[in-house]
Order: sequence, then C-alpha cells, then structure tokens
Amino acid sequence: MFNLNPQTQKKIRRFKEIKTGYYSFITLCALLISVMVAELWVNSRALVVNYEGEFYFPTYTAFHPGTDFGLDYGYEVNYRDLAEKFETDGGDNWVLMPLIPYNPYENHSSTNIYKPEAPSFENKHFLGTDTTSRDILARLVYGTRIALLFAITFMVAVYVIGITIGCSMGFFGGTFDLIFQRFIEIWSNVPFLYMVIIVFSVVPSTFEIPTRIAILLTVMVLFSWTGMTYYMRTETYKEKSRDYISAALLLGASNTRIIFKHILPNVISTLVTFMPFTIVGAISAITALDFLGFGLPAPTPSLGELLKQGTANLRTAGWIVTSAFATLVLLLTLVTFIGEAVRESFDPKKFTVYR
Amino acid sequence: MKMTRFSLTLTCLSVLLMSCGGADEALEPIEVIDNTQEVNEYYASKPDFFSFKTLADLPTNLEWQNGSHLADIGSDKAVKGGTIYSRLQDFPRTLRVVGPDSNGSFRPYILDYTSLSLAGRHPDEFEFYPGLAESWAVDEENKTVYVKLNPEASWSDDVPVTSDDFMFMFFFNQSSYIVAPWYNNWFGTQYLNITKFDQHTFSITIPDAKPDMDNRVLSLGPKPQHFYKELGDDYVDRYQWRFQPTTGPYVIKEKDIKKGISIALTRKKDWWAKDNKFWRNRYNMDKIHLSVIRDTPKVFETFKRGEIDQFGLNLAEYWYDKLPNDDKDVAAGYIHKSVFYNQHPRPTFGLWINSSRPLLDNNDIRLGIHRATNWQLVIDKFFRGDYNRMQTSSDGYGEFSHQTLTSRLYDIDKALSYFAKAGFTERGPDGILVNTEGTRLSFTLSSGYEAYKDVFTILKEEAAKAGLDFRIEVLDGTSGWKKVQEKQHDIHFLALGVGLELYPRFWETYHSDNAYDDAFMEDGSVNPDRKVRVQSNNMEMMASFEMDKMIDQYRNSGDKAEMINLAHRMTELHHEYGSFVPAFYQPFYRTGHWRWIKYPDGFNNKHSNNATQHYVHWIDTKLREETLAARKAGETFEPEINVYDQFK
Repeated sequence: MFNLNPQTQKKIRRFKEIKTGYYSFITLCALLISVMVAELWVNSRALVVNYEGEFYFPTYTAFHPGTDFGLDYGYEVNYRDLAEKFETDGGDNWVLMPLIPYNPYENHSSTNIYKPEAPSFENKHFLGTDTTSRDILARLVYGTRIALLFAITFMVAVYVIGITIGCSMGFFGGTFDLIFQRFIEIWSNVPFLYMVIIVFSVVPSTFEIPTRIAILLTVMVLFSWTGMTYYMRTETYKEKSRDYISAALLLGASNTRIIFKHILPNVISTLVTFMPFTIVGAISAITALDFLGFGLPAPTPSLGELLKQGTANLRTAGWIVTSAFATLVLLLTLVTFIGEAVRESFDPKKFTVYR
Repeated sequence: MKMTRFSLTLTCLSVLLMSCGGADEALEPIEVIDNTQEVNEYYASKPDFFSFKTLADLPTNLEWQNGSHLADIGSDKAVKGGTIYSRLQDFPRTLRVVGPDSNGSFRPYILDYTSLSLAGRHPDEFEFYPGLAESWAVDEENKTVYVKLNPEASWSDDVPVTSDDFMFMFFFNQSSYIVAPWYNNWFGTQYLNITKFDQHTFSITIPDAKPDMDNRVLSLGPKPQHFYKELGDDYVDRYQWRFQPTTGPYVIKEKDIKKGISIALTRKKDWWAKDNKFWRNRYNMDKIHLSVIRDTPKVFETFKRGEIDQFGLNLAEYWYDKLPNDDKDVAAGYIHKSVFYNQHPRPTFGLWINSSRPLLDNNDIRLGIHRATNWQLVIDKFFRGDYNRMQTSSDGYGEFSHQTLTSRLYDIDKALSYFAKAGFTERGPDGILVNTEGTRLSFTLSSGYEAYKDVFTILKEEAAKAGLDFRIEVLDGTSGWKKVQEKQHDIHFLALGVGLELYPRFWETYHSDNAYDDAFMEDGSVNPDRKVRVQSNNMEMMASFEMDKMIDQYRNSGDKAEMINLAHRMTELHHEYGSFVPAFYQPFYRTGHWRWIKYPDGFNNKHSNNATQHYVHWIDTKLREETLAARKAGETFEPEINVYDQFK
C-alpha cells in the first residue's frame, strides 16, 4: 500500500516544492486535528479534577452532578466555580481547566447583563463575547469543526455519486448516456439555494439536531452532484477508447472492475484538482445559508450565524464580525492555496506558457 | 377528438396572445359590473337582519350621548405641515383592507390608526368620543345601540357617509367574495339586526347585552357602497391595488405607489373632521413617506443619517448600547430619547404548552416546566431589568385581572419533584432526565419570533439544570403562526395582541370548542372520538368541562360583578391547569426621534400602544433645517432624554 508508483511520487514531490500550498496543507491539517479534539482545549468541563484523592477526567464522560464534588446541586458541575471554591478552601483538591474554559452554548457575562463584551484576557474571553455573552472563540472553534466536517462529508458524497454516474455515462454511452444527460440538464437547472431553503423549512423540528444537519447535507448533495458528472463522462469517454481498456475487456474483466480499477486511476487527476474547490464551495454555501437563517438549526455554533450577528452590531461590537470574517478568510485561503498547488503538481507539463 | 385537439390549440394560442399583451392591460378588469340589485335582493332575503323604518319609529325615551364632556386628544401647540419619513419592513402585498394578505404591517396606515369608526375609546379617559357618529344611545334591554351619523361625514372622494354604507358593511363582511372567514363569522354571528331610520340614523342589535355592548357597535367602520359596486367573485384581484376611499385624513395617490420601493400617504387638506373636537391637532403631517427597508440594523443606520425621523428603541440593546445617552447625536441634542409608561392590556408573551401532546398532557410535567423556565434571569440579564414578569394570561384589565395570583418562579428542586411525580427520576449521561422506559424529558420549543431567539438559548441552558431539554426551532413569522394554528407544536412562544378592551376574552383561547370537535359527551365525560380542531386560538389545547361552563356563563352574563368573579375563577383554573407559562410584559414604550419631531407636553395618551398610534405628533419644519445646519456646523443643543412616568 505504501509502494506509491513513481508518477504519484513525482506529484507529491512537486506538491512539496510549491511552498504556499504545502504549508497551507500542513496548517489545515493541524487546524483540523486541533478542532477535532476541541473538547480538550475549549470546554467548560475540566480536564482533570482531583477531589479527595481521586482523579476525575470529565471531558468525554457522562456528566457529573454537583453532588459528586461536595456541592449541593444535582445538575452539571460548574467547573470554573469549583476551581475557585477549591482554591479558597485551600485543601488538596484541585481542578485543571482547559485553555478556554467555556463551551459554545453557555452565557457567561462579567457584567451580569447579556451583551457583547470586548476581548479580554482577564475573563479568558480571548475574542470577546457575542450578543448573549457566549464566548466567540469557543463558537468559532466548534463552528469551524462543523463547517469542515460538513464540507468534507459533502465532498465525499458528491464525488461518490458524481463519479459513479459520470463514469457509467461515459462507459456505457448510448441511450443510458442520452437519458442521463437530459436528466442532469434538467436537474442542474433547479435553483440549488431555493431548494435547500424550501426543503429545509418543512423538515420537522422534532428531529435531533444531528439528524437535521444530516438532512441539510443530503439536500445539498442531492442538488450538487451534477457538476462532477460532465468531467467524469468526457474523461471516461477518452480513456475508454484506449487500447488497455480493450485489452482488459478481452481478458474478461467485468464492467465494475474496468471502471474502478482501470479507468478511475487514470482520471483521478481531474478529480483531485477539483476537490479543494468543492470544499471551498461547501463552506461558503453553509455559511451563506446560516447567514440567511436557513442553515444549521439554532443554537448550533456556526460562522454564518456569527457573521450575521457581527453585521447587525457593526458599530457597537466590531470584534464579532472581525473574528468571524478573519476565520472564514483564513479557512478559504488555505484551501484555495492547497487547491492551486494540487492542480499545478498534477499538471503534466511542468513549464507551460501559462506559468 | 379532433375537436378537443383544435380547442386545445386555440387555448394555447390565446394564452400565448394574452401573455404578449402588456402586463398593465391584463390587470385591468374586463367589465364593470354593478351589484346594487344583488345587494338589495340580499337585504330582502334577510328581512330579520336588514330592516327599514322611518324616523317616526325611533323610540323617544332614548338617552343620547356624544362624549362632548371629554378632553381634546391632540395638543393645541401642534402645527400642520411637513413630510415624515418612516420605514416598512415589506412592501404591502395589497391595498385591500380585507381578504388575503391584507392583515399586514401596512394596514394600520390605511385602516386601524387612520380611519374613523362610529366612536372611539378615548385614549386618556376610556369613555367613547365621537368619530363618524354625532351621538348614540344604548338600549340595554333590547340589546340595541342607536346611532346618529355626523351629517358632514364624508368619504375621501367627497361622497357623504350614510346609513346605507353601514347596511352595506354587513353585506360586504358576510359575503364569501371577500375570502375572509373570520369576518364572515364575526359579522354573521355577533350581530342580529341593522335598522335604517333615515340616511343618517340607524340602529344595530347584538345577541347578548354585555357590559361593553356599546363598544361592539361603536367600533364599527362603514364600507363605501359606491366604491364596492364591482364586488364579485374576482374581488381579491380586482381590488388588489385600488385604494378604498377613507373617512380619515390620509389618502394614497396613484403616483405615490412605487411597488417594492416606497408608498406615501397624503393629507387631505379639506378633510371633513379637521376642525372637530378630538380630531383637530392630530394627523398633522402633510405627507407620510414609507420606504421599504428590510433589515433593522439598516433602518437604524438610515435613522442615524436623519433620513428616517423616528426609531423604536424598545429593545435594550438599542436603548443602552446602540443609541446610548452619550451617543454623539444624542449628546448634541439632535436626537431626543423618550420613555413613556402607558396603560394598556398587555400582549400575552409566554410559553403556550400544547396539552394534547404525550407527556405534556400530564399536569405534573407542565408545572415542572413552569418551575424550570427561568424568566426572571431573562428579564434581569437579557432585558436588563426593564421588563416585568407577567403574572397571568390576562394582566392589565384592571379589576377583571386576578389581583393576587402570581406566576411560578424558577426553582430547580420543585421542578425536579414535579418531574419525579411524572416518573422522571434519573438523569441520563447528558444530565437530562429519563423515565424507566428510557424516554428523555425533551420538548421542542418553537417560535416565529426571530428577535427573541437568544431568549430561547438562555431558557434552554437554564432548563437543562432541572433536567429538561428544549429543542429550539426558530421559524419565520408566517410558518410559526401556521404551525401553532395547526396545533403541530409542543411548546410555542408567542403573544396574542390585545386591543383596548374592558375585560379579557376566554372563549377564543380556552374553550374546548376551539380545541376539539365535540370534546365532551352530554354528561361531561371526555368524548373518545374527539378530533383536534385546527385554525383556532386554543393553542394550549385546553379542554375542561368546568372551564367551558364558566366561559359560557361569562359570555352570556351582562352583570359586571358576576363577570369579574368568573374571570378570576377562570384565571385560577387556568393557572392550576398550567398550560401557559407567563413570560414578561413591557410596561412602557421607548422611542428615539430627531429634534424636529414634536410631541405634546405629556408626550402621549395614557392608553396608547405606541408613540404614533393617535397621530398627536407633528413636525417643525423650520427646526429641521436649523438642526441639520447646526449639525453640519458642529453646533450643539441641550440633550433631551425624557421619562414620562405619570401613568406608571
């Protein structure tokens, strides 16, 4: 599996040579990993609690009622208060809080009024708070995680459908091709944004939030796979007429084997160069939908929702829009750089007139 | 077969031809009809409802009133003139005042606040002051109100207002042409008879003698029969963009309708009531210019530029943060800020719990929800302590409101014990309660009010402490209302607007007739086959045999003391039933206005609902130029932040 063929090795080498793309890739990977374990550094739950000689690691476990730590309430412990209490009590008990001790849903105000607060190191609201005193950094981190996961899932789903149908069209040709082409022409003319808005507005809210996000994803995929088929179809047509396909046919290979074993690896370069741009598209789409209020259900943290709050409070709370906008720009720039680099490293001509 | 194909081709062709014609041409009604005969036949077919008598038949022992002892409404300092600039969130979908799409935010400009009824509730003294009527007399025994119209009253196209317009009002509102079931029902069931004595004298009879039966009649406004001659099946389209002549001071001219962009109202200089007591010194602006601006933040920016004259500052974030007292335009005295404490029945903001849903049909769960929703926190932290907690669903009706009953306070222990009674004793891994069958204590909290979405997240966080989970669903206004009217909600946050009325209504919201078809059997037991009734305002699905009996008694009662007693008992029963979590009410309204907008000395009327409702403000056009010039030159004035708490 790790024996990459020389062609691929060459491409990877080229990719590494393109510094903006390569470092963007490393940064994005680091970002992805860090947001995947966001619970460890952005969380209202403590990392470690040492209470009466016993260690607790509440991050990923079930909730601990206050009574577990000698408090008089049965709901989830407020670990920030607990840390303070242990400190003033002065015993051996201690709490280790994450770097940002807030979760993206809780309202935490230092003034007793829920309103946007400017960034403050003292309160550990490093990017300030939003209109209901929720930590912006926490919402950004979890919002970015959802956006990235959403975009990656979206891309995979779109490609699986797009490749399968596009390749089949190119490979089988004839009536199958003709019918699907017409179908795709019609289907791709359905306005994507309106359909998402219409369909999502009739989804009952009795579903849990993850289910509703999955439905949103499905709807978006349903109206986005068509673009990919055109490229796959033409590429497959081209490859199909080559001798090695005829040879495979003569040897008795099945259609599935020919498509996925022989044709697909040869058209992969087209695919790979499109991937980052699909991700950019997906992130923009979900942000736009959130901005318009048709995206992820409240109170899910999201970039679009923050942007919306930011634009509504431009005069009074400029830090909301600044952080949301900066995050979005950073994210999209990274992915675009990677995309450019991938495209270039897959280009068979190293030196072209276009360089 | 051939014939069909031929006609099909022909149809296609004609459709094609029609669509080629100009859009305006297609909108023009094809034929002008005259329904006078149809109207007269309708009157003749209902002789009990529409009667014709002569002045000689008018009872002689009537006590005529005309409200002339009441004080003026406007201020004599007011001057006429100027244009006021304001915003609309959406362009009106129609200029009709009845029928589909007519009940929008534009209607107050052409109906509610600018047209005259027979008489109106005096916004300071609650008694009636004359509008179209010159005088009126109430005959309680016969449940009839007699009215003499002001002979000067006329429509804006100078046709006099006569008794015929009131007869026609019933024809109009009872007809199916107008596609407005509520009007059909109200005018079909709440009135028994109209009798015309002469062109300016008539009487109207209602089914029961209520303490406020005068209101039932005097709040009526006529329909111009001459304008609705073409009323027919195509009413909705035909009258879509026609401005109905008004009895009020403002008309809409064709050239002022810029679809999708702006619309303007122009003052009729020779308005018939311009010098009448109660009407003079009001409606002072020559023009009201309304532009469509959708986003509230954008409206605020436009206001700050001086392109809009006033901006509502009810929300704390605007009053304290976006237009603080040290804002440079406020500190320089260009923009004035005013708070006015009013007295008005309060809109019923709260959680409407659908008690027909599984789990929510359990009284303990409902009471637990009361104890698990932390409204005080919302009021203190989100509304910054400006609002008050609402106590019952009928606050603000004076002695008709329950005096001692209070809403249940947030209390985790009590909430947990209620939930425990309903079988929810264990907390799941996320802290939310589960029962022995593994059901989570989780409900959808929906609302059509996007402006309050942050309130729901606060409630959700607080409810989780008591082991209750809210799934938040924020919908747009129309779908939110549809959801709750179809009774598809678990728990819905909304408020019903209430008019200035003497006593609260119960039938609409708590009678079982509005929850189920045939809710109970004869003996008061629950009908097992009952079906949910949709499109009604019993959104808590409250069905109680006892309540029904009290409501019926209340509706039929004409005795004030009995009604007060019943109102209190019903409020108590509703409190026990616990399907409504009272939220908050706003005891004032706040507004920011540029210096050239002037209000009377006491700012506004005691029972006013908002600053512009009674049009007592005016524009000082000279001051406008002065202020704008001063602003350019950097000159400042004394800042004005006024609190009017005389009616607090």
